[in-house]
Amino acid sequence: MTSVCIRVAGANGDGVESSGAMLIKVVSRDGLHVFAYRGFQSIIRGGHVWNQVRIGDEKLYSHGEGIDVLIALNQDAIKNQKSHLNKGAAVIYDPDKVDAKELEGKYRLVGIPLLDIAVKVSGDPIMRNVVAIGAALKIVGIDLDVFNDVIKSMFTRKGEKIVDENVKSAEMGYNHAKAEKLFDLKGDGRSRYTMDGNTALSIGAYASDCKFYAAYPMTPASGILHWFAAHENKGVLFKQTEDELAAINMAIGASNAGVRSMCGTSGGGFALMTEALGFAGMIEAPLVVVESQRTGPSTGLPTKTEQGDILFVMHASQGEYPKIVVAPRSVEESFKIAVDAFNLADRYQCPVIIVMDLYISEHIESVDGFPLDSVKIDRGKITAKQGDGKFKRYEFTADGVSPRAFPGTPGTEFIAPSDEHDEYGNLVSDAFSGIDEYVEIRRKMQEKRMKKIETMLERESVFAPEVENPNAEHFLVTFGSTTGPAKEAVEILNGNGGKFGLISFSYLMPMDKGKAKKILEGKKLIDVECNYTGQLAYVIMANTGIDIEKKILKYDGEPFTGEEIAEKAIALIK
Amino acid sequence: MEAKQEAKQRQNYSSGVKPIWCPGCGDFGVNAAITKALTELNIERNNVMIVSGIGCSSAMPQVYSTYGVHSLHGRLVPVATGAKLANHGLTVIGTGGDGDGYGIGGGHLVHAARRNINITYIIMDNETYGLTTGQTSPTALMGHKTKSTPFGVIEMPINPMALAISAGATYAARGFSGDPMHLAELIKGGIAHRGFALIDVFSPCVTFNHDNTYEWFRPRIYKLEKENHDYTDISKAMDKAFEDMRTNYEKVPIGLFYKVERPTYEDLDIALRDGPLIKQAGHTKEQILEVIEENR
Repeated sequence: MTSVCIRVAGANGDGVESSGAMLIKVVSRDGLHVFAYRGFQSIIRGGHVWNQVRIGDEKLYSHGEGIDVLIALNQDAIKNQKSHLNKGAAVIYDPDKVDAKELEGKYRLVGIPLLDIAVKVSGDPIMRNVVAIGAALKIVGIDLDVFNDVIKSMFTRKGEKIVDENVKSAEMGYNHAKAEKLFDLKGDGRSRYTMDGNTALSIGAYASDCKFYAAYPMTPASGILHWFAAHENKGVLFKQTEDELAAINMAIGASNAGVRSMCGTSGGGFALMTEALGFAGMIEAPLVVVESQRTGPSTGLPTKTEQGDILFVMHASQGEYPKIVVAPRSVEESFKIAVDAFNLADRYQCPVIIVMDLYISEHIESVDGFPLDSVKIDRGKITAKQGDGKFKRYEFTADGVSPRAFPGTPGTEFIAPSDEHDEYGNLVSDAFSGIDEYVEIRRKMQEKRMKKIETMLERESVFAPEVENPNAEHFLVTFGSTTGPAKEAVEILNGNGGKFGLISFSYLMPMDKGKAKKILEGKKLIDVECNYTGQLAYVIMANTGIDIEKKILKYDGEPFTGEEIAEKAIALIK
Repeated sequence: MEAKQEAKQRQNYSSGVKPIWCPGCGDFGVNAAITKALTELNIERNNVMIVSGIGCSSAMPQVYSTYGVHSLHGRLVPVATGAKLANHGLTVIGTGGDGDGYGIGGGHLVHAARRNINITYIIMDNETYGLTTGQTSPTALMGHKTKSTPFGVIEMPINPMALAISAGATYAARGFSGDPMHLAELIKGGIAHRGFALIDVFSPCVTFNHDNTYEWFRPRIYKLEKENHDYTDISKAMDKAFEDMRTNYEKVPIGLFYKVERPTYEDLDIALRDGPLIKQAGHTKEQILEVIEENR
């Protein structure tokens, strides 16, 4: 496999984001694979931002290590990015604006009067980015025709002049870099979709007939909010709420009324949602909640990644009730998990929390497509027929799942109470608690709810980790977004004569203890997570008694790369 | 004959559950008024959703045979809003207390009002925290002594009518549970009104509030209708909203303070142009492919 990392770096407002987006579109149309990750801050103008676009001729699982081609849009880009340059890297810059002398002799300097060309071609200084992209394409071996096709489809509605200016600017850059071709990336000719995890998750929810999304803006979950807002004319209702308390309680109200509903936030917002999470557990309302983690504690690093919230999420809200916690391992899996989450929520009438993080929520990946034919919608036990006015919404059943009815249906009226209740939904809390008959009802009702955990473990096959290379000598153990980089680490390690395998979790709660133990037992394990304490290792120990002593932990806000994990794994097994 | 019986059955709004309220509690009067309003409006019980928070008055859904949610403290407004947005064919009524609505859930009230979501929110205002055995409330009057304010309240009370009107409520009324007939008319008006209706009800707590009793209210309250108050005039409505404070509670108006017609949230949300969400068909394969294709 060949892969190249192109990094566009500059200040907010320099068009770093849009340049990256243009590059991503061009290469994915050419049948190449993309994995892109942004470095940005909570600032609207200024600061130092970058967009790393990694391009490969095979599927990529991380944003890659180091920079092969740097597009330095300002002096800061040289200063902040030089330590990341790979051996033999090319640096595209504007000698009129940026001094790259310190890099002379060490890297291939491709100085092009970007601004001068841009102003001459279009009069628009921002077109300097397109000139630079043209040069970058030449360096990595991508044909200019591909670029021209993409530009036509992107800008035709903006007019021929815009198309011409873009084509001309790129061509000038391309020609300037004529002698600089360093790579020869060849795509398979298949045009792919490119999207981030938030988009894949939103599409999964949409395909599952989720019609209601409520949220308060919070990075890195806001992408889901923007997706639903943009599709309000396509059969979904999005409500921006006054706070996260309102977001989750609206979603619960809508779900109880019969509509598949979701809410989403990051850790801080989730903290506000926790009381209502138990409320959904108590009234047995199906509910999908997205928690996209960022670096904590507290406000932390709002634009950086971490996997530090899983224990918090797993134990959120007072008391005990069934809940499902799952962390998608890739952009593609975010779609599938959204689909499964709605079915699980309806089948077991409980909250399902999809734990994302900034890395998976916001990195862009090329995607072949989604298996729409495998999307089956299962609303669970719904009583469709008219009742006799004595509906046991919380009926004691063998599997713990009671029949549900949608408000509006005649004869199945019921009250959904946050207080403990009997089979009809009548309170046993205020007037009756402690009286023998009601002590018994409370015990049975708690057992009924908790029984659903046993039932789902019995009926569903998803609550155990997956193994790759089962006969390997050492195993990396991961969950969620760290799985991609770990997969790459395994490839690197085995390419150098190692015998490594991977054990990865998406579903974290409940856990099929027997299956998990069987998979993990007797193996040499290395826990890899983006947090300080090794929260997955803690969960594994609690469920299986297996204590993974070797750990690779990262909590500096940056996601792992495959190389980084491979290097640390080697050091650990020495 | 059979159809008539069925209609009668549907109008039987009582669940038969005995309420938890103390003898003489104001909430009995509110219960009677809500039942009268529903009966007169002839709404089938399966199309009614009563949502409460936590507190004595939030036990209201339990005594009804309609659909209902007994939600969390302070969260009845978002839960009711979610239910209404999912199925705006339902008549959604919020029932809670002053602590729930003006204290812990105060933020939601303001936003529900400006959204003009078509729900009727009845706040049983006893100016105290009853179920937690008598602490101060956001509507307690200055100087009022409670377990949490043994030296007297030193904060201004919330002004429910002024708050609701300034936040954008399109129906703002105040009733007295000692006059359930009058209150039933206000609730009927609120349910029939298209938009957010706040009905604040003086509902005395006979156990923990010995200042603001039925006897305290009776000589002070008067009905706005008798003064021919023009409830379409926002300035006059605001003027009336401050009359109790201005007169040091010598004159306490009840009745309809303000009413105006404005499109509801459901009228304006593009997602609801094809009817209630719950009745809308599922997303088709073509639609799903379309949203995927946007990412090429």
